[in-house]
Amino acid sequence: MLPRSETGLATAQPLTLDGITHSYGGGLAVDNVTLEVKGGEFVALLGPSGCGKTTLLRIVAGFIEQGNGKIIIGDRPIDTLPPSKREIGIVFQNYALFPHMTVTQNIAYGLAARGESRKLQEERVAEMLAIVQLETLADRKPRQLSGGQQQRVALARALAIRPRILLLDEPFAALDKNLRLDMQIEIKRLQRQFALTAIMVTHDQDEAMAIADRIAVMSQGRIEQLGTPVQIYDEPASLFVNGFIGSSNLLAGTVEAATAEGYRVALSTSTSWTVPSRQNFAPGAPVLVSVRPEQMTLADEAGEGRFPVSLKLSLPIGGELIHDVTAPDGTSLKVAVPRRPGVASSRAETAFCALADHARPSLFAKP
Amino acid sequence: MQRSTLSDVTYNWIVGLLAGLGILILVAPVIIVIATSFTTSQTLRFPPPDLSLRWYRELFDPVRSAPIHTAAWNSVWVAFVATVVGAVLSVLAALAITRVSRPSARLLEASFLSPLILPSLSYGLAALMFFSVLGIRPSLNLLIAGHLVVIAPFVFRTTLASLTQLDPALLEASANLGASRFYGFRRITLPLIAPGIAAGCFLAFISSMDNVPVSLFLSNARTGMLPIRMWGMMESTLDVRIAAIAGVLILATLLLMIVMDRLTGLTKRMSA
Ligand SMILES: Nc1ncnc2c1ncn2[C@@H]1O[C@H](COP(=O)(O)OP(=O)(O)OP(=O)(O)O)[C@@H](O)[C@H]1O
Ligand SMILES: [Mg+2]
Repeated sequence: MLPRSETGLATAQPLTLDGITHSYGGGLAVDNVTLEVKGGEFVALLGPSGCGKTTLLRIVAGFIEQGNGKIIIGDRPIDTLPPSKREIGIVFQNYALFPHMTVTQNIAYGLAARGESRKLQEERVAEMLAIVQLETLADRKPRQLSGGQQQRVALARALAIRPRILLLDEPFAALDKNLRLDMQIEIKRLQRQFALTAIMVTHDQDEAMAIADRIAVMSQGRIEQLGTPVQIYDEPASLFVNGFIGSSNLLAGTVEAATAEGYRVALSTSTSWTVPSRQNFAPGAPVLVSVRPEQMTLADEAGEGRFPVSLKLSLPIGGELIHDVTAPDGTSLKVAVPRRPGVASSRAETAFCALADHARPSLFAKP
Repeated sequence: MQRSTLSDVTYNWIVGLLAGLGILILVAPVIIVIATSFTTSQTLRFPPPDLSLRWYRELFDPVRSAPIHTAAWNSVWVAFVATVVGAVLSVLAALAITRVSRPSARLLEASFLSPLILPSLSYGLAALMFFSVLGIRPSLNLLIAGHLVVIAPFVFRTTLASLTQLDPALLEASANLGASRFYGFRRITLPLIAPGIAAGCFLAFISSMDNVPVSLFLSNARTGMLPIRMWGMMESTLDVRIAAIAGVLILATLLLMIVMDRLTGLTKRMSA
């Protein structure tokens, strides 16, 4: 039996993926992925289409047998267990609700399949309906529900069996934007309430940022970087992560010297910036400096670390003004500055581009 | 509102005309045979000089129409058993074939469907020769076996179609929730493919009921089948009871169709 806390729920179990590798016959879909998800932690697998997120999730669920590697829940390997014995809850991308059953029957399915008593089934269904606030829709069929309601049924169905782990495959892809935030909060709440260890697949970075404790950025079957949303955004470990998360400006340059504050880089825009980095660069190495648009500003006068740019376009996007500017060497940059009320576009034709006060540029070797 | 242009009007006219023509060709013979079955006359002449239930009374007379009754029951029994056995075999075959993606599965699928294409007449002859080589005498069971071969593909095809439309994620969800394969089959697969199976059974039953080519070769005087008997009556006496039989068959088919629609319509509503 699993350890139960006084609330009657299992205490959160850590999930460990150890060197998971899988190929469908051609190239590697999942390439030596090692990932330790702590008990009660919410990890998002984030990556471009085809990078192996779904494959990894299906391996954990037991729908695909991995070529290599181990999956461990708590301290128990589960590789030899069939999907029906893994006690992992899944919310499928299109929910996969049973179309011929009512909401109640859908939620009770897992319990009925385990031969639980009628009484327990009824109690648990009532409890789950209350938790996802669907009491009034208990006798509806899935097709009579909205997308958000269907998703809540899918959640209730997955949680009714009291799983140890919750897997979510693109859970919000089918929802419109307003509903998304509601459901993200809802899922986060339930994950906490049920002390679940959760993995969510997504290719929406905002979603991953909002909901996950840690994000694993994947590319071509490998984990490129694992870290908190802030780490991933502020200190991208590779050019790929840098480009995939948020938007950024890339400026070409050459390392001039290493100083106490960082590397002094001569930029192709004929200025030099000092950029801190954990990596090692030799003087003369060609590099790319990456700066987020909101970490740059436009000034009226020339000065140290500034370079002239010509303004091409200004877009008011919510509270920000996004300027599209071009440096003399042709480098195109985006600069985001807070927008003053009433201001829709920018002032001058030319300006000087500089790092904002708390800017934290990243340095990458030029590929 | 949008005004209909000249070409819209012509289009509607042409489609309407074609539809009318289609209905005429399909329905007119049925009306003619039913009208004829109520005739007072001794012959199969249309239009009937006057209407009566004379030939229906004759048809349901237990003594004078005994051979027809025997043939009718034979036909119903053969169709029923062949459909039930065919349904079980076809559903199992379809399940197996959708689970395997090897080319051998495609080959099997084609061979299971081949009786739909193979001329039944050749199959009837082949079956007769085959069974007589084995020394098996004609009997109702032999007819069932013969019909089974030609009607099972109907169920196979409709079941296969509903299985391929079944979302595989549903069965994964079922397994993920802790259900055994058999439990998932019983509660997910079967209810969702039931309308397909029922539709196939309906087609199979009907096609067995009016199968001539196979029955022609595999039945004898003792195991007379309804369509063969009707043909015999037609050739020898032009008995008006044939029209009455046709009337009964049409009515029975209509009823069966309504029942089917209620059932599968209902299941469709439940599963859609
Ligand atoms: N059943 C399969 N057979 C063969 N190759 C497959 C199969 N499923 C996925 N692949 C391949 O494996 C790789 C990873 O696929 P996967 O579905 O895991 O990607 P993903 O990260 O979930 O992408 P997306 O964001 O588009 O859902 C892809 O290159 C894909 O083409
Ligand atoms: Mg995917």
